Amino acid sequence: MATDSTERSDSALKRLFYRHEKVPLVYWDEFSGAKTAVALVGIVAVVTFLTGLSNLSQPEITLDGPLAPFIPDVEAVQFGGVLLSFVLASIVLGLVRSKRLAWYLAVLVVPLTTISPLTTLRPAEIPLLILVLVTVPLLILHRDAFDQRIDLSPLQIAALSSVVGVLLYGTIGSYAIRDQFVELETWADAVYYVLVTIATVGYGDITPTTTGAKWFSLSIIVFGTGAFTAAIGALVVPAIEKRMANALGNMTASELSLLDDHVLVLGYTDVTESLLEAIGDETDVVVVTENEDAASSLADRDINVLTADPATESTLQDAKIEAASGVVVATHDDANTVLTVLATRKAHPDVRIVAAAADRRHADKLEAVGADTVVSPVEIGGRLLGRSILEETDTDTLLGVDDEESNTKTDEDG
Amino acid sequence: MGLYSVSVFERILLRAVIPVCVVSGIIVATGFFFPALVGDVISGEWWLVVSLLFFGSGLIYFALLPTDRTVADEYDPAVTLRVRSLRLLDTVTEFLAQQDRIAFGIPVGIFFAFFCSYLIAPDGTVATIATMEGLITTYFGWVFVGTTILTVAFCLYLLIGPWGSIKLGGPETEPTYTYPVYFTMFFTAGIAAGIVFWGPAEALFHYDSPPPFFAAEPRSEAAITAALAYAIFHWGFTAWSAYVIIGVPIAYFVYRHGAPLRVSSLLVPFLGVENLDSLWSRSVDALAIFATIGGVGTSVALVSEQFLTGINYQWDVGYNSVSLLLFVIGLIIVFVASAQSGVDRGIRRIAAVNVVLFVAFGVLLLTVAPRDFLVASSSAAIGSYIVNFVPMSLQISGQWVAEWTLWNWAWWFSWAPFAGLFLAALSRGRRIRTVVITGFVATSLATVVWFLLLSSTALYFQHGAEVDVLAAIDAHGGSEAVAGFPVFEALPLGELFMFLFLALILAFMTTSADTSTLVVSVLATERDLAPTTGAIVFWGVFQGIVAIAVLATGSAETLQAMAVLAGGPFAIVALVATAGLVRWFHRHERDQPWPFASLWSAIDAATLEKPIDTDAQRNSDSEDEDDK
Repeated sequence: MATDSTERSDSALKRLFYRHEKVPLVYWDEFSGAKTAVALVGIVAVVTFLTGLSNLSQPEITLDGPLAPFIPDVEAVQFGGVLLSFVLASIVLGLVRSKRLAWYLAVLVVPLTTISPLTTLRPAEIPLLILVLVTVPLLILHRDAFDQRIDLSPLQIAALSSVVGVLLYGTIGSYAIRDQFVELETWADAVYYVLVTIATVGYGDITPTTTGAKWFSLSIIVFGTGAFTAAIGALVVPAIEKRMANALGNMTASELSLLDDHVLVLGYTDVTESLLEAIGDETDVVVVTENEDAASSLADRDINVLTADPATESTLQDAKIEAASGVVVATHDDANTVLTVLATRKAHPDVRIVAAAADRRHADKLEAVGADTVVSPVEIGGRLLGRSILEETDTDTLLGVDDEESNTKTDEDG
Repeated sequence: MGLYSVSVFERILLRAVIPVCVVSGIIVATGFFFPALVGDVISGEWWLVVSLLFFGSGLIYFALLPTDRTVADEYDPAVTLRVRSLRLLDTVTEFLAQQDRIAFGIPVGIFFAFFCSYLIAPDGTVATIATMEGLITTYFGWVFVGTTILTVAFCLYLLIGPWGSIKLGGPETEPTYTYPVYFTMFFTAGIAAGIVFWGPAEALFHYDSPPPFFAAEPRSEAAITAALAYAIFHWGFTAWSAYVIIGVPIAYFVYRHGAPLRVSSLLVPFLGVENLDSLWSRSVDALAIFATIGGVGTSVALVSEQFLTGINYQWDVGYNSVSLLLFVIGLIIVFVASAQSGVDRGIRRIAAVNVVLFVAFGVLLLTVAPRDFLVASSSAAIGSYIVNFVPMSLQISGQWVAEWTLWNWAWWFSWAPFAGLFLAALSRGRRIRTVVITGFVATSLATVVWFLLLSSTALYFQHGAEVDVLAAIDAHGGSEAVAGFPVFEALPLGELFMFLFLALILAFMTTSADTSTLVVSVLATERDLAPTTGAIVFWGVFQGIVAIAVLATGSAETLQAMAVLAGGPFAIVALVATAGLVRWFHRHERDQPWPFASLWSAIDAATLEKPIDTDAQRNSDSEDEDDK
């Protein structure tokens, strides 16, 4: 009785108060993910910046916090807060890319931002304190989400290490011969002199006075400026390259290296869109096509694309065919399809190949050159049309698709 | 349908709210971080405006954030593809066609008549209502007293008796709402900003003029205990039992016997499920709507006035009728947005915000409050409350009792229809005992703890002559709104408490008003139809208009008295409904096991040294339940 009475209960109740799933007070899953942790670090960066500026704009600083007795230099804390926010901002960039190094740095730097609030304990700095208390546990909870290594190319490693080398050489060297310079007395002066020189700013307040010191300075200029420029080139150019590649609808080398167990779709034809839809989110897909318009439109929708000739083996190797779980070949031209199947078979003898024959008479030939399954879209379409008119059923029933999918399908057709 | 997809109203509102929220947020953040920079540019009035805009628009934005869960729930092409009626007349006709004529017409008519008569003959109206109020609280006091005693007793029996085991719904029915959200939504809906204002104030008033029952010297040590005991008496178990007594029968008949979700389902034992379309039941619904709108509408008006009074007291920011009007309009927008976004979104989220603020306030206060005094006075008050509960409940005569206790019960009963209905709506799949534990025990405990915390702190400063809160109240025309501020000023982190206090007022008011809007629109819509977004917006705005009219005519106290008068009939309705439910349970639910029944039988078995088959017993129990 109880069951049928619930059916009779009125619709107001059902629509307003019933849900199929449980309604908790807070959907913790939505708030406690790794994404939230990254966002929180970003917010910490912004709030640190604001708090730091707010601190600097104070006419007078009162030190009520528990850390106040241990802080020798309040100004350093004040400026350090603002600086930390810039460091945090770059860490956030790394966290977004799930870099392990960024996670370590975040766990180190985020707690450092509390130094200023703990020194002054001004009301305006309390939000930062609370924020950090939330952020750090969440970061630690999600440490596994940040597992990407920093992959530096040999050129980048070389450039970075030469910058570090030149800096060390210049600082230690100029400090060693500090009596041969005007106004160079401390380690800080030495660092200052080297950086100003390498960055080609050259204020000229510190100048070499002896010939030896001049030769030394020239060596910093030549190697330092060179290393500095090379480092910028090595670090910035790949980023720009990636931008360009994205704009053209191409995958970058690093993206390609991550592919595993993916499906390769070789060629772009009318059936490709339905094919991608059918594969859905189940596996990674890489489309290889020479059609640049199609490639850039696919790339806009975050589908992996490689703009290259699918019939060449080097392309297939770029697309990591050896790790692929299957290959679909569907080009406009059956001759081209044959070539592509041949190239695929050569690049990876065991992979499963499904080929689409534009002309159904070519199906056997495609099988002969190595395709495991050959489908003729035109033939299937014709058969469906025939059955549909005779049996008066709609295509979805024939295909055995459930209702939900059919809705989206008809929408798109219309 | 707006409850599932994004309604037009919502889209327009979001488009307006986001820029407001961002801009005011930037200004508030600037003021917070760089006070020197903007301190001189922006005056106190503008700070108030900006921070209210920020908090309000933030609440709206939070309420309206879409979820990925609600959209795919029900795709109804018939509704989506229906040609929209574009002309105003069509919209109005369609809206009216969906309203229940009696439940819609009577309350709207009464309010219209009230304000008209108030405008034409203000003195006569006030006098009539005052006479009626006096009559009810003087001569019908025993109705309230009797009802409250019976409801408390009934709640206790449900708690320990066999009927508590009745499940609200079929054996397979699972509760939709997890326990925390169930408690949170009911608690925040059932109590409005009164808990915030009266928290520090009520005991102070009793301390100043002690209740005759205790016969303590004004402002003496004894008066402290008496004041605290009466404060928790007025806001504790007795008060909340009024909601449970309405909620449990509705929930039982809705989920076990297919009655519609309306207040009139209380009458099932007398009319039967099939006859709930009768004039009687519709009048009960109309009365419920009237009491709810009167109660919530006047609350909105009073709370707005008190809110600005408090700010005026503390920061000397003046207000006039225009700013009051704007404040009420802002409040209306917030709770209408929350109500129309549905239980799963706005109502749940703002309730969560409310409870987080509530708990944060309590915990913070506990860390800085005078704990020794607090513990001593609270334990004395709880002891006195327990010992004197029955005699206090039986107090009928005397002006003090009529003005405080009886008036208070009437006020709670006028809120009972909507809070009870909401409790019923959330309780599907729970056992009656859980409903009582939540609606009667847990909520009361939360309120009692809150009152002890705030009242004790206020009394500590008042009694120790550190801060003369009562003088401040007197200086502001006896308004309870100012009581909190001098107390917080005396505490460390005083400003933080004040801001939390103000935020709590807004949150509590919103969580009650949005729920009442939803409940009223359910009641006013024709049976078997879900209220449309338009209907919810209409009833929310209508409540707001009542609040504005109250402020414009200055008739707050009169209308409040009138709404409270509606509480009187509801006390009787509740009494009748309880009698009906008891009779029904007695006839139809005899087989419910007593709690610990298996324990008892185990003891019996042990004494008789006879092995019992508990499994078989459990099976037969569940079969019994299936048969019913």
